[in-house]
Amino acid sequence: MAKARTLNQPSRASNTILNVIAAVFSIACVFPFLFVIIISFTNEKALSRDGYRIIPKEWSLEAYRYIFKTGDQLLRSFGITVLITVVGALLSLVLISHFAYAISRSSFRYRNFFSFIAIFTMLFNGGMVPSYIINTRMLHLKDTLWALILPLAVNAFYIMIMRTFYRTTVPDAIVEAGKIDGAGELRVFYSVVLPISLPGLATIGLFSTLGYWNDWFNALLYIDNPNLVPLQALLMRIENSMQFLVTNSALSGSGQGMALLSTLPQDSARMAMVVLATVPIVLAYPFFQRFFISGLTVGAVKG
Amino acid sequence: MWKKKLATVVSLVTVFSVVLAGCGGSKDEGSSASGGDKKDKPYQLVWYQIGDPQKDTNKVVEKINEYTKEKINATVDLKMIGFGDYSKKMQVITASGEPYDIAFTSSWANDYLQNVSKGAFVELDDLLDSKGQGIVKALDPKFIEGAKVNGKIYGIPTNKEVATQRVFRFNKQFVDKYKLDISNVSSLESLEPILKTFKEKEGYAPLWGDKNTSPYLAYDFITEKLPMAIPFDSTDYKVVNFLDQPDTMKTFETLHKYYKAGYLPADIATSTNSDYQKNGKWLVDMADSQPYADLTWSRSAGYDIESKAAGDAIATNTSVLGSMMAISSTSENPEKAMEFLNLLNTDPYLRNLVDMGIEGTHYKKNADGTVTDLPAAKDYDMPSFALGNEFILNLYDNDPKDKWEQFKKFNTDAKSSPLLGFHFDPSKVQTEMAALKNVSDEYMPALMTGTVDPKDYIAKANQKFKAAGLDTVMAEVQKQIDEWKAAQGK
Repeated sequence: MAKARTLNQPSRASNTILNVIAAVFSIACVFPFLFVIIISFTNEKALSRDGYRIIPKEWSLEAYRYIFKTGDQLLRSFGITVLITVVGALLSLVLISHFAYAISRSSFRYRNFFSFIAIFTMLFNGGMVPSYIINTRMLHLKDTLWALILPLAVNAFYIMIMRTFYRTTVPDAIVEAGKIDGAGELRVFYSVVLPISLPGLATIGLFSTLGYWNDWFNALLYIDNPNLVPLQALLMRIENSMQFLVTNSALSGSGQGMALLSTLPQDSARMAMVVLATVPIVLAYPFFQRFFISGLTVGAVKG
Repeated sequence: MWKKKLATVVSLVTVFSVVLAGCGGSKDEGSSASGGDKKDKPYQLVWYQIGDPQKDTNKVVEKINEYTKEKINATVDLKMIGFGDYSKKMQVITASGEPYDIAFTSSWANDYLQNVSKGAFVELDDLLDSKGQGIVKALDPKFIEGAKVNGKIYGIPTNKEVATQRVFRFNKQFVDKYKLDISNVSSLESLEPILKTFKEKEGYAPLWGDKNTSPYLAYDFITEKLPMAIPFDSTDYKVVNFLDQPDTMKTFETLHKYYKAGYLPADIATSTNSDYQKNGKWLVDMADSQPYADLTWSRSAGYDIESKAAGDAIATNTSVLGSMMAISSTSENPEKAMEFLNLLNTDPYLRNLVDMGIEGTHYKKNADGTVTDLPAAKDYDMPSFALGNEFILNLYDNDPKDKWEQFKKFNTDAKSSPLLGFHFDPSKVQTEMAALKNVSDEYMPALMTGTVDPKDYIAKANQKFKAAGLDTVMAEVQKQIDEWKAAQGK
């Protein structure tokens, strides 16, 4: 190896320091999750006796066994989450990409008006109670899956991202070229604009997938039917109930409170649920990453 | 140009078709809840209930409806909402004015007093007279008295223990192991020899709790953990700062002595976990009791727990408002709702169905009239105390035969707090209340757990409370109590 460094290469010392910093930071990010996985495999008795340990004295699969035994609720919630995530992410991609494209085109006369409509909702929104009234009394979404899908389907911020993306990566020249070749507006959009916008779409797709996967608040508001509760809402409910009973001394001191507590899953089972809820979405990242990279390599106008 | 328009139109159609699909899905459901004012069509009662949703709820509700349709020409739509979510969700439902008929309410979830002052509940005095006589007969009069707000009742308390009694709980295995004599225990002071023995033999703290723990003080607190209270034996209805009272000082000093001696866990003032019950490494703690509580505690802990009273059984506003049901002011048919509540509180078949599920599916009846859970009971596990009159429930095979008689006796014997039925309305002193709450959060856990020396700490706390406006609030409380007293003719 030649000693000479190129101009952009950091010195050995700073390289080491930077690597150490990066390593510490990534450990700090990953460790809590690893710890959750470890706790989920810890024996419940050992947990209350020795507390949380990095290497537990007794391993156990009991938590997972517990979940899958009592688990058709869990599996069903899992199914609901997957369903609303897939449908919701596709739907929001369709809506956002169309809307953003329209307001990105300078030839669209009302683009300022429609941009304003979108941006307005970023700055002001109706608040929880009015949206609840609209969704339940006017749209009758209560206790339907649409209540979990529609409120998150369009996000003004994503529209802005997408619009900027079209503006910067789709030159007017390419649209004009399409038109000269005889394509209509829709044909241009579907055959020319969308393929070169894959990186943008993947970004928005990832965001809204995450949004749908992690959403529990809409379920809290709109879903009463236990068969329609998504996974995160189920987890939140267990966590909330637990927290509530533990902090509410009036209730937890009484025999009833204790009886209730004993029916809720224990620490290790809760951690196992977190693992089950997180792992699938973690696995989805590499899939999206492929798009980011391939998207970047697609050139549009050859210079 | 038209192509551009077409693109817009296509996008719009996509949007609207989705919205319309959402509408179509549940339209019939929405209208059936509001229909039914005709005589022959059964009215559907929407009933919000605290408790985690159960798998078999629909099955049981079908059975309930069969019965109620025949009895009172009504059906119920029972909606269970988890413990942690209940208050939040009911707030939105109330604020949005969504129609419902019956809801669980209490002092600790879906706050009764707040809802009453918002006008969310129907006033029930007349309805109780016309349709709810069974309820009035079943309930101890203390319940009705305590549930009244400005002389009117807005919620139906669940018939259960009307009072709470402070007790010391003992971990029986250590009491037996060291032959500790707990027969004379009646106060914090009398615990000392036992605590000493345990500490010497086992080497760790005997007296356990967490930061919410408080010793028994013979006061009825106007607001939890704020230094305004009336002694239980008060006859002049004078609000005092309980921190200034000599008996409080004595209790705190004893606690501090114990803390210094290592009889309490060192981190008790900040601790939030109650793991000690799981691992069994404790001797004494403090809890609120009811008849046969020892049995329940022992069962859920998995080892024997015995308790000794630390004070009288006293019916306070908090104990009375522990579990109630109210009729919403958005209900279209409050009479039907009251008829249903009356049936629920008086009809053993309906009450047991709601509580335990279907006989033969969720439980079976034994020859002696008791019941045993079947495996399917885990699919229908309801919070018994929140569902109405407990005294008409079936007994489990391991329940004491005289369980409900003991409860009734406990209720009759319980003393009433002087403030039973007085509910402080803090709306005029809200800023001060918030400031007081902050001071309380800062000072009370340390005092109540004996972590600090009360001699100078109480003075410090009082100074802060005064600065936060304690005197103003106390004057307001006293004014309201005087008005309430005059209205009650006491």
